[in-house]
Amino acid sequence: FFNYSFVDLRCFGFVRMRLTWRGSLLLRPPPTGFRFVLAAGKKDLIDLPVLVEDELEEQFVRGSGPGGQATNKTSNCVVLKHIPTGIVVKCHQTRSVDINRKRAREIMREKLDVAYKGELSEVVTKKKESVLRKQEKRRKANENLERKRLFKEALAADSKPGNDTV
Amino acid sequence: MWTRSLSTSYYRCFGCRSGGPKVLWRSHAVRTCSAPALPAGRITPLQAVNLWKRHFEERAVTEPELSSQYIIAHLLGAKTIESLEQERLTEFLSREQTEQIWKLCTRRLSRMPVQYVIEEWDFRDLTLKMRPPVFIPRPETEELVELVLNDLQMKTEMGVPDKMEPTCLEVGCGSGAISLSLLKTLPQLKGVALDQSQDAVDLTRENALRLGLEDRLEIHHIDVMKDAETLLRLIRPVTTLVSNPPYLFSEDMASLEPEILRFEDPAALDGGKDGLKVIKQILTLAPQILSSYGHAYLEVDPRHPPLIRQWVEGNVDRLQFKEARHDITGRPRFCILQKEEVKQGPQAGSGLRN
Repeated sequence: FFNYSFVDLRCFGFVRMRLTWRGSLLLRPPPTGFRFVLAAGKKDLIDLPVLVEDELEEQFVRGSGPGGQATNKTSNCVVLKHIPTGIVVKCHQTRSVDINRKRAREIMREKLDVAYKGELSEVVTKKKESVLRKQEKRRKANENLERKRLFKEALAADSKPGNDTV
Repeated sequence: MWTRSLSTSYYRCFGCRSGGPKVLWRSHAVRTCSAPALPAGRITPLQAVNLWKRHFEERAVTEPELSSQYIIAHLLGAKTIESLEQERLTEFLSREQTEQIWKLCTRRLSRMPVQYVIEEWDFRDLTLKMRPPVFIPRPETEELVELVLNDLQMKTEMGVPDKMEPTCLEVGCGSGAISLSLLKTLPQLKGVALDQSQDAVDLTRENALRLGLEDRLEIHHIDVMKDAETLLRLIRPVTTLVSNPPYLFSEDMASLEPEILRFEDPAALDGGKDGLKVIKQILTLAPQILSSYGHAYLEVDPRHPPLIRQWVEGNVDRLQFKEARHDITGRPRFCILQKEEVKQGPQAGSGLRN
């Protein structure tokens, strides 16, 4: 409906396949009664909760009168509420209401993912991996600096006065 | 009330004289009611936004903060203020940039729509050039495109036997928003767009060229009310007919906000006494424009759907009212109709309906 290309693997309460961003396969039981969908076509293969439109409430700046041609407003903020959890997403990132609606739904899926899976959600695990990578980078950089420092000291020690030899 | 001119501007001054009566200015010369002076020193974009928000509020310009944000963001090369880095927003503007901001924001003081001030706007995933008096696409119309796309995509998935390549005719294309949106999303689609306004035809052509879609879109300067025969001779039957025709009731025109009344083409808005003048003409021609089983999609006034259903049933052969859909604000907004199969045999041409 919203132009996502996705593969629907509906498994209710059964073991399902989960593709992580590394491409390895893990088997994990999903929370009962919840549908997961592989969102293919994105850089990483992630599975986020599917949104059920009936569970969503959408709000726009409506104004009075018949709307449509009778009004020219530039406000296009979308407020999306997920009724079962009470989670609210607000989006006015672009100048198009249609795009804001789609983006609000993407953000909602991520938020629901965090809400349902907590530690194991995509957003959280990605953040952790990112933090780990940064730490590793810093560690290596520090190691290099240390090595350079030691090398310099060694050079300085060699060229101390009293040691001139030709 | 107001005589509209496109080359000069009219300003209504609220509170120009503090405590005094509201004054109506009427002039054929450009008249500003003391446009705010340029700042003495340098200011940042954020400061400019706040300053102009206040100016707009003082002059009762609608959407004061949003107007200010969109104009200044545009001058900084962005679409929204939110997409700009905090550093950029707190960096001093050059004199030139400040003058540009003042020039554009002053236009907004005359209630010129933001879209005309910055000469562009977005429609779905497209950025289109905007120019008065060509009608500015409304957010509701983005949904009309979604409706058409869903149906067309379903048709291709279901493998509906369509020896014909998908073709689309748009009546009243304005800036080209609907047709160009459809063409952008469906690479196999070919389109024909019409408008009674030469300005609209020119703008649609310009937008088509900017988007590289000009080879798939034929644009014609045709008035569907007066040149019906020309139209029918010109085109071959299409699979899809789409329109956001003028649908306002004539009596509602006078109470439109200044943004619309002063700057947009009334011919793009006024649908006659019951708002159905152009709609009826389009639907009368629909059976000749559409191929068998082809669909017509219309954006209409919320009061129209039951009236259209009734009228079509009594007046248009071979066209069936399928359904009415609501827009995002919950108002009835879209009508979907379908051309029935062309019947062969004794009943054909008799006008009898089952």
